[in-house]
Amino acid sequence: MADFVSEFEKLLPEVEKPGRYSGGEWNTPDMSSPARGDMCFCFPDLYEIGMSNLGVQILYDIINRAEGFRAERCFAPALDMAKKLREHGIPLLSIETKKPVKDFTVVGVSIGFELLYTNVLYMMDLAGITFRAKDRKEEDAIVIAGGPCSVNPEPFAPFFDAIVCGEGEDADLELLRRVAEGREKGLTRAQILNSIADIEGVYVPSLKREGYRVKKAVVKDFENAPYISKPLVPTVESVHDRATLELYRGCASGCRFCQAGFWYRPIRERSAKRCAELAKDMLKSTGFGELSLCSLSTSDYTGLEALEDELSPYCRERGITMALPSLRISSFKPDMAKDSRKSSLTFAPEAGTQRLRDVINKNVSEAEIDKISVAFEAGYDSIKLYFMMGLPTETDEDIAGIAEICRRLKRLYMEKRPKRGLNISVSCAVFIPKPCTPFQWEEQISFEEMKRRQFYLRGLLREIKGVSFSWHGAETSVLEAALARGDRRLSYVIEDAYRAGACFDGWSEHFKWDVWQAAFEGRGLTMQMFTRARDLDEELPWDFIDVGVDKKYLAKERELAYRGVTTKNCREGCNGCGALKMGRCTIL
Amino acid sequence: MIVLKYQKCDEARFISHIDLLRHISRILLRAEIPVKRSNGFNPHALVFFSPPLALGVTSRAEYLTIDTDMPAGEVLARFNASTPKGLNAICAYGCEKNPNLQARVVAADYVYPYPYREIDFSGVVIEYQKKGEPVKEDVSAKIFSARDEGGMLCLRLATGGVNLRPDRLLATLDGIYGETGSVTDIVKTAQFASEDGKFVNIDDILS
Ligand code: SF4
Repeated sequence: MADFVSEFEKLLPEVEKPGRYSGGEWNTPDMSSPARGDMCFCFPDLYEIGMSNLGVQILYDIINRAEGFRAERCFAPALDMAKKLREHGIPLLSIETKKPVKDFTVVGVSIGFELLYTNVLYMMDLAGITFRAKDRKEEDAIVIAGGPCSVNPEPFAPFFDAIVCGEGEDADLELLRRVAEGREKGLTRAQILNSIADIEGVYVPSLKREGYRVKKAVVKDFENAPYISKPLVPTVESVHDRATLELYRGCASGCRFCQAGFWYRPIRERSAKRCAELAKDMLKSTGFGELSLCSLSTSDYTGLEALEDELSPYCRERGITMALPSLRISSFKPDMAKDSRKSSLTFAPEAGTQRLRDVINKNVSEAEIDKISVAFEAGYDSIKLYFMMGLPTETDEDIAGIAEICRRLKRLYMEKRPKRGLNISVSCAVFIPKPCTPFQWEEQISFEEMKRRQFYLRGLLREIKGVSFSWHGAETSVLEAALARGDRRLSYVIEDAYRAGACFDGWSEHFKWDVWQAAFEGRGLTMQMFTRARDLDEELPWDFIDVGVDKKYLAKERELAYRGVTTKNCREGCNGCGALKMGRCTIL
Repeated sequence: MIVLKYQKCDEARFISHIDLLRHISRILLRAEIPVKRSNGFNPHALVFFSPPLALGVTSRAEYLTIDTDMPAGEVLARFNASTPKGLNAICAYGCEKNPNLQARVVAADYVYPYPYREIDFSGVVIEYQKKGEPVKEDVSAKIFSARDEGGMLCLRLATGGVNLRPDRLLATLDGIYGETGSVTDIVKTAQFASEDGKFVNIDDILS
């Protein structure tokens, strides 16, 4: 094995933010003893983004704690570094021991976002890994994928030997163990793949036949599931540069557009006692000055008050800030923010009218929006509102409702603090129908219609003083929608797009719309073929994955949506979605 | 007040100055060294640095001043138990008040990866980019001396308010020696203040 370390080090002073590649983070486990098998976690985005990914850190920690196994990391290098690596003929290396990524027993790519698909190939390319699993040689590393995009792995399935669908906590280590054993016994690649196929959650694309099914992997005992007690402390400031504690998995709200809310069912909470212990361990071992309590709807967490009581004094003594993201209006209390130095509130009504909020089952009423005045009283004078555009059944009236909410908030604010001014920032994403949601059959509105509605809203908001408006690019939303519900044909499109220069598609400055359009056309496809409405009885590319939540339940929810009927929060009682067969919903 | 003398080497060479500030505050939190905080609207921990080090350069002589009542020996031990590879402290000095090294340091010694040779630096011009614009600068007045350190070239360069970045001299030295040196091979070995027109090693001021 060639030693690239010294050559690689010489490149570091020549690139932007060399700390992205240098390693040596505090809490890095000892890598000196030999391992039976090792896995390189590849995150197809920059260090700053990847280091904030909770899933990767949890899995990294689990493998490094296991006797005889080792995990290392690699992030997508920025373009300047990629150029240097190519010029010097250095393959992509792991951060910790600077070992070529392709020489690991298993290479595990975490995919959390459709617009990272070309970056997966970018990393494989730099690493010297053959793109298609079927073309790999006997001795090549076993290349696997995991992460939230495993909800519909078909567009990228041909690039991987195996895909872990669902939560990787148990599956990843078991898979690494079996691959290492297979190598020790001298098994062939095909035999090794056969030997991992029965691990819960593992999908081996080359074995897929008529009737093939994969059961999503679920952590059964979430309370005692391993958690990162010693998170790595990033060398370069990362996007969420703080200790992050996951309070629970799944979500009881049942918003009909939300993939994570259905995909991560059953709903499993960790006790406040254990959460407090974990939080303190993390803060002690990292020295982070900020703690973020994170979950899909953190303020719904049963033990929130107990947890805050336990952690507030601890944090106050040490000057640590506690951040509570994704607050729901319905559960906002002014003292929730008492230990946070934030002066800006964030709320996500998602839709402008009650009618449409009922359609999407976003449980936020007009009366509750009025409750925001409590926050104004508490001294907040800046608010961020998140909405979605193009939701099923949306009309111009619903869009006008967004402007109406802004006016209403301004009135409420003036009643409380007439001498000052309220800043409202409205952020509007385009609705993307996603697999594993009641809206998985919906069509996405056309590109032209997106533009028209964005224009319309912008016009309305311009008339209100103190409101700023930002929206997501229509182009990326169409592409994301096409990739999200795509099938295996898209693997060719992704490969063509990458070869034609698409990369870092999630970064607006790098996004190449024309390249993607040409890539679809070149394969006789269009994005609209994938963003169209699906028939209820149509076979969907992700149907072979058993996610717990029944397809029939999703269809029923869809029907309720069209009738404008809401479904109650699971905390008020089980709605019978089917996830129970995969484990207990601890909130019941 | 405690002044820690620490190194910045190995992987830590690539921590930028801004990131270093966050690193240090985390080390202090992990080490549970009680640092006094400033008063006022946005209280912050009272820690003070010596002038920033160029990215990629190794240093054996960085200084960190901490406002704490903890004894020097304990600060040193705790700091070293909580610091990542490459940022460990060498010694700790106790002092009455903040020695304000940020302002007082005027020079530093750098050992370069070239064998020692007598060089005439008069009229030396360096070229570099500043905000995308090419700049030419005569830096001869910022090179105070050259000497032999273990057979290698050691330069004393202006540091602090009047500053010469050691990496920016590399191209010039490469030209003189006809070889290519790397930033990662430069080592800072000492920092100096000026007293009565003489350079005094910061260590001597503190001890
Ligand atoms: S099983 Fe019941 S409680 Fe659990 S997520 Fe489904 S509907 Fe909600």
